[in-house]
Amino acid sequence: MNALVLQFGKPWIWSWLAAFVVWFLTIMVTGGAGTLGLSQAALTFAAFSVIVGIGQMFVITLGPGNIDLSVPATMTLAGTVALKLMNVENGMILPGLLLAVLIGLGVGLCNYTLIKALRIPPIIATLSMSFIVQSAAIWTNRGLRIKPPSVLAEFTTTNTLGVPNVAIIAFLISILAWILLEKTIYGRWISAIGQSMPAARMAGIPVDGTRFVTYLFCAVLASISGYLLACFSGGAALNMGAEYLLMSIAVVVIGGTAVAGGDSNVPGIWGASLFMFLVVSMLNTYGLGAGIRLIMTGLIIISVIMLAGGRRGMR
Amino acid sequence: MTIRKMLLASAAIACAAMPASAFAETSAKKIALSNNYAGNSWRQAMLTSWEKVTGEAVKTGVVASADAFTTAENQATEQAAQIQNMILQGYDAIVLNAASPTALNGAVKEACDAGITVVSFDGIVTEPCAWRIAVDFKEMGRSQVEYLSNKLPDGGNLLEIRGLAGVFVDDEISAGIHEGVKQFPQFKIVGSVHGDWAQDVAQKAVAGILPSLPDIAGVVTQGGDGYGAAQAIAATDRKMPIIVMGNREDELKWWKEQKDANGYETMSVSIAPGVSTLAFWVAQQILDGKEVKKDLVVPFLRIDQDNLEANLAKTQAGGVANVEYTQEDAIKVIESAK
Repeated sequence: MNALVLQFGKPWIWSWLAAFVVWFLTIMVTGGAGTLGLSQAALTFAAFSVIVGIGQMFVITLGPGNIDLSVPATMTLAGTVALKLMNVENGMILPGLLLAVLIGLGVGLCNYTLIKALRIPPIIATLSMSFIVQSAAIWTNRGLRIKPPSVLAEFTTTNTLGVPNVAIIAFLISILAWILLEKTIYGRWISAIGQSMPAARMAGIPVDGTRFVTYLFCAVLASISGYLLACFSGGAALNMGAEYLLMSIAVVVIGGTAVAGGDSNVPGIWGASLFMFLVVSMLNTYGLGAGIRLIMTGLIIISVIMLAGGRRGMR
Repeated sequence: MTIRKMLLASAAIACAAMPASAFAETSAKKIALSNNYAGNSWRQAMLTSWEKVTGEAVKTGVVASADAFTTAENQATEQAAQIQNMILQGYDAIVLNAASPTALNGAVKEACDAGITVVSFDGIVTEPCAWRIAVDFKEMGRSQVEYLSNKLPDGGNLLEIRGLAGVFVDDEISAGIHEGVKQFPQFKIVGSVHGDWAQDVAQKAVAGILPSLPDIAGVVTQGGDGYGAAQAIAATDRKMPIIVMGNREDELKWWKEQKDANGYETMSVSIAPGVSTLAFWVAQQILDGKEVKKDLVVPFLRIDQDNLEANLAKTQAGGVANVEYTQEDAIKVIESAK
């Protein structure tokens, strides 16, 4: 009993609870017939949100005003350019991935240069960066869809032991992120910066270096997610990142990470990502119109955040 | 005195000659394209077609210039400001793909009042002074169900993939599909998702609703979403239903693969992005002094089982099946509307 109470004190429990309730309500409709299909679909699509969400979470942890709005454009550019380089050849899979990571590093570098050297607030710096990146994506391929190499297409769309491969990759990345956040000095640093930047500076934390690495990390995760998503959906599209702008922020917030920074957690990202996919599936399954569906999505998100926020008030 | 008379006379001649020359000549006219969005392959093909056809027209001296402008944020306010700039820059005609059917009416009216010809296409505007080149989106939706009724006389369950919620085109196509279902009551729409005209969004939405659906016989779509639906269904152990395609190259290629492998049959329908060039020629004809009805209808581009290969061969890898229109095509469309 005590352990249970302790669990409810965890900020991420609410997103998992919400995801489970929605999952249950959806399979109720079918009488349990589509349980496996729905669970696999949820894991697959949550994987992409998890990868971008983790990057965004690290940035948001840095404290008020820190956010990366260039995530969708980075995804699009990485997917487009990597698929163009690979040009359907299986031998080029690794160079393609490497190029995607390099694009991520490039975007992250530019983002932080704008923020630091030109003293532009992150929200504006990353937004203007995203215009440049998006235009670069349009310019490189004019929106033509190049198919992914067959091995990669096969890998991203299949399961291992019933678990989608992309979900396994997202899980590995989550473990890495969890270790970074909870077990390394870097994780302590970003939390400290998020709680108070002047205090962190006085404590001798390399604030600029840490922030720089965090923006790099976020952009690289976005580009990896873009690479995987492009391979999964059979080619990069110019608007493929669009829904991940709001998604990356929503999963962080619903997952119980403090929007003001300094307090974040990895498991919540998974609960929130599963929830975000399942809630749309549920409302689709119940056959509600688009208007009601959007309103319901908004209301449900607000209530989950309120529940998670209420927990904070009690503490 | 005589000099004054001569001047007057020449002025009179100039006045008399002016309208005549304006009626026959568009070589000094400047046309601008105001486009609200460029972020998908359809819009990119639209801009490429515009560049190709108008570039030729400028080179051969049909018009003086034909510049394309795209707004960054797909906002009606931004596009209204863009149109106001075009008025100040002295364009003779504005060809418009509008962000909203009504929100730009003010700016369009200003342009008309400044003597500028406004031709809207695809995303049309309701302002009466502008011309509209519209697609019969309702018929596009209805014809899908009609096609399915020929293929599946016994009917069955349908999955509907819609476009972007809140956009006029989405409502129209969907209304057409529901009309079709009323006309052929052997069909029943058992699920409806929004695919935002994008393969990856459609794939996600379909994968989410599939587990809860009974057997589906057909999937009705709006274009840009067929391949995503096929991917999502292929990931399950369901039998592949008839998915109506939307002229994208990856959709046509998938269809061709299935056709070769197991004789899969379907059809594909969408509007050609080259409709921008039709709008260009219509604007040129109006500037040339032609009487043109305010509402024109452009046929949609349909691909069937027998002309699939021919169309696939013509379509750029990763692009959209396209038709670029000529001046003659525009004249034909104008004539047929009378």
